[in-house]
Amino acid sequence: MDVNQAKQEHLLALKVMRLTKPTLFTNLPVTCEERDLPGDLFGQLMKQDPSTIKGAESLMLGEMLTLPQNFGNIFLGETFSSYISVHNDSTQIVKDILVKADLQTSSQRLNLSASNSAVAELKPECCIDDVIHHEVKEIGTHILVCAVSYTTQFGEKLYFRKFFKFQVLKPLDVKTKFYNAETDEVFLEAQIQNITTSPMFMEKVSLEPTIMYNVTELNTVASGDDGESTFGKMSYLQPMDTRQYLYCLKPKAEYAEKAGVIKGVTMIGKLDIVWRTNLGERGRLQTSQLQRMAPGYGDIRLSLEMIPDTVNLEEPFDIVCKITNCSERTMDLVVEMCNTRSIHWCGISGRQLGKLSPGASLLLPLTIFSSVQGLQSISGLRLTDTFLKRTYEYDDIAQVCVICPYTSNEC
Amino acid sequence: MDAREAPSQRPDTLDITMEDGSNAASAGDSLEAPSNLVPFKDNILPQEESIDLGGAEFATPHEDSSATPSESLMDRLNDQMMESVMISDSPNNSEEEDVAPMDSFLDGGEDLKPAREDEGKEGSQEQPFNQLQAVFSGTDDPFATALSLSEVDRRHDAWLPSEETRKVLISVATQQYSPAYVESSRLTMPGLKFDNLQVDAVKDLMLRFLGEQAAMKRQVLTANSVEQSVIGLKQLVSSKNWRAAVDLTGRLLTAHGQGYGKAGQPTSHTTDSLQLWFVRLALFTKLNLFQNAELEFEPFGNLDQPDLYYEYYPTVYPGKRGSMVPFSMRLLHAELPQYLAKPQEALDRLHHLETICLAILDNLEKGLAEDGSMVTLTQENRQASLKLWRSRLGRVMYSMANCLLLMKDYILAVETYHSIIQYEPQQRVQLLSGIGRIFLQIGDVKMAERYFQDVEKGCQKGGPVTNTTCVLMNRAFVYLSQNNYTEAHATFLEVLKIDPKNPVANNNAAVCLLYLGRLKESLGQLEGLVQQDPTSYLHESVLFNLTTMYELESSRSTQKKQALLEAVACREGDSFNTQCLKLA
Repeated sequence: MDVNQAKQEHLLALKVMRLTKPTLFTNLPVTCEERDLPGDLFGQLMKQDPSTIKGAESLMLGEMLTLPQNFGNIFLGETFSSYISVHNDSTQIVKDILVKADLQTSSQRLNLSASNSAVAELKPECCIDDVIHHEVKEIGTHILVCAVSYTTQFGEKLYFRKFFKFQVLKPLDVKTKFYNAETDEVFLEAQIQNITTSPMFMEKVSLEPTIMYNVTELNTVASGDDGESTFGKMSYLQPMDTRQYLYCLKPKAEYAEKAGVIKGVTMIGKLDIVWRTNLGERGRLQTSQLQRMAPGYGDIRLSLEMIPDTVNLEEPFDIVCKITNCSERTMDLVVEMCNTRSIHWCGISGRQLGKLSPGASLLLPLTIFSSVQGLQSISGLRLTDTFLKRTYEYDDIAQVCVICPYTSNEC
Repeated sequence: MDAREAPSQRPDTLDITMEDGSNAASAGDSLEAPSNLVPFKDNILPQEESIDLGGAEFATPHEDSSATPSESLMDRLNDQMMESVMISDSPNNSEEEDVAPMDSFLDGGEDLKPAREDEGKEGSQEQPFNQLQAVFSGTDDPFATALSLSEVDRRHDAWLPSEETRKVLISVATQQYSPAYVESSRLTMPGLKFDNLQVDAVKDLMLRFLGEQAAMKRQVLTANSVEQSVIGLKQLVSSKNWRAAVDLTGRLLTAHGQGYGKAGQPTSHTTDSLQLWFVRLALFTKLNLFQNAELEFEPFGNLDQPDLYYEYYPTVYPGKRGSMVPFSMRLLHAELPQYLAKPQEALDRLHHLETICLAILDNLEKGLAEDGSMVTLTQENRQASLKLWRSRLGRVMYSMANCLLLMKDYILAVETYHSIIQYEPQQRVQLLSGIGRIFLQIGDVKMAERYFQDVEKGCQKGGPVTNTTCVLMNRAFVYLSQNNYTEAHATFLEVLKIDPKNPVANNNAAVCLLYLGRLKESLGQLEGLVQQDPTSYLHESVLFNLTTMYELESSRSTQKKQALLEAVACREGDSFNTQCLKLA
């Protein structure tokens, strides 16, 4: 295997430098007043220093750009940029130089060179420069392989390679949690943690849903024209900090019917994350398809189509229930309502709802009133399947807030 | 399969492990030279006070109480002091009349700036000056001079001591205590802890890389080659031979009895000795020798000990009140912990400074004197004092904002920089642009653009040229953040059309060229600048860029760096940070 070719003196030298963004030079201001011993000496020294801000020399963060002094860290999703320079160190003209740069990972080998054609000739002290960019898509060991082949003026064909190894690290830790609402909506909480060593500005965190769902992101507060982020001024994530993003997924109309019957694992969508670090250095990651385990509904699923948030004390209000047959057989349903201490049903209890085939659903409007203030839980619905003589009980279906509309005098 | 490069060839990329936490984003790293703790070498400077320094100003009467005015005069002065303390609420007994500070006459006349800020002839003052005429022989109008000097003194030296200190000072003034009976734990007993720092890193490098002959040619001012006085000290400071300057402060302080090994021994303080300490500690900080500074600051406590106040020396500074500690020294003391990885402590100290500044400003606005006593100040005096303390408050806030930035608490840092604008409105453009750059460092390009637009809006009235260059620089940084190096380069060139000598624009334009793959061009530009204008371009950050590009360009980078070393050797003092030459 071609390893170290130090034994052979090559006419050309290959140098590689990673081009992370430059940094801004910082100063350490030391000042004194005119009555102090140095007088205006310290002030003069700071004014003469080319890297201070003129007129505001005490400002630490200057404007002078400094090139990166070390390789730094590289994270998945960032762009690896590198300067590759081939320099003719000799005194003779070199011909037919071909420079190839490949990136070798554990799974593949990619060609990164901008041009694949050979340079006809290279005079002494001249160089061939190339800047390569590559968006890193894998974690772990990467090896940049640079190969140079050339012909000396005597016609000798020479060749050498250099290997540069670096590790790509994981920048973010993403955890997800699903919450099922009483309606068909699903809420996704995504926890994102910055596991790098420098602050990250989260430019965009969005959920791309699968075809079944519509997404509403719940991370901005509507104010003014733009809307302010729920994170307020804290627009960036310090190392090891975590943030939670919230999304609401609603099944599209054409899938809403099936939503109740879905069992097992479903694909919800992908999180698309774009972040920036020093001087706009960009990184982008997508998660794999997020999966959700559909909650088991049993034979019959009872969900609420419509229910008010807040109702008045002792005033009847309407709700609409949706009953879905999640089993494999037809059912003949009878509904019964039982009052609780706080919830009182209005209407006829014990009526027939009719036959319901497998997978079908029906809407059931009902009226209730509450006799107790506060957050009340709606309970007391019973569905009986007359074919199998089986009763299904539904308690704590939903909550409603009951308030008293009268002041204490009138009540 | 893996071949590694010989370690001497940088900047080839090498193995990276997860522990490599250092990333290129912290330019601050390039600043910090390893702090040298140079212990005292036994065979060097003598510590006796009998050093003949030749400067007349150090044979002062301050150390030696027997050189004070005649006995009867002293008694009368003391009587007056006692009166003024016991009837302190009477507006006629203000602190700032009669005695002009004696040391101002002894320091080569540099501090005499009479009536520059005010012409305080306060009619309400009726104190018998006749006895004191004898002290001021030869000056034109000692009364006016004394008054105006004392106005300036009063407002600069004003401070609010802590309760404990105040009690001690009152008891000294009412002569309940002789100063000798104050506990030594509350006294300031400093002494040098390091000596002979004069190591010329440039000369060392020359010896290693250019040979002895070349190294011999290196000429710098040393502590021996200048006058052993404040004048000599200023020469060393302005020529950037700060290590030599530190050594000279050591010698001058030794003459004050506070030399090496004197820490912990009782001593007395004067305005001069404290100024010397300030210069020494400030130079340590400029040289990044933070641990040295911390160790020598230690005996000063929190700069509030009773023997650092004028009231503690009623015989030497009769009638004078306030703190002998220069405000800039307090600031230095407050900022220091952040460079020693204790930024929270720095913030605490800075907040304390801020509190006192605000209290003093409050007193002034209420019509009182700075320290809260009921004294009538003339309108001009009050205005001058308000101006001084507002600018001091602004300076403290700069320190706080810089400290927060160092701690990476960007939100608070931005807020603090923002609030400086009300104290320094003429720096609005620079402050807003600085805030924009902070957002660029975070990565929030949109917010940065908003701040830059703010700057542009405030600049449109056809103001100074610096405003236009500022707006262009900001624009260039935004292009950089959008990876548009071509436009960034073009914008830096536009700055150069207006201000061809602008070193920042020149440096930044060269940096952009590198990112565009034009190494040779970039090198040529920077090298040319260094040759034509070494005063501006022999600067750490430019040289870091240049040496980095040398290493990228060819294997013969060492020779080119040696050429830089020669250029540096001709003009830079002993404080030059040789790390940027990368010749290690």
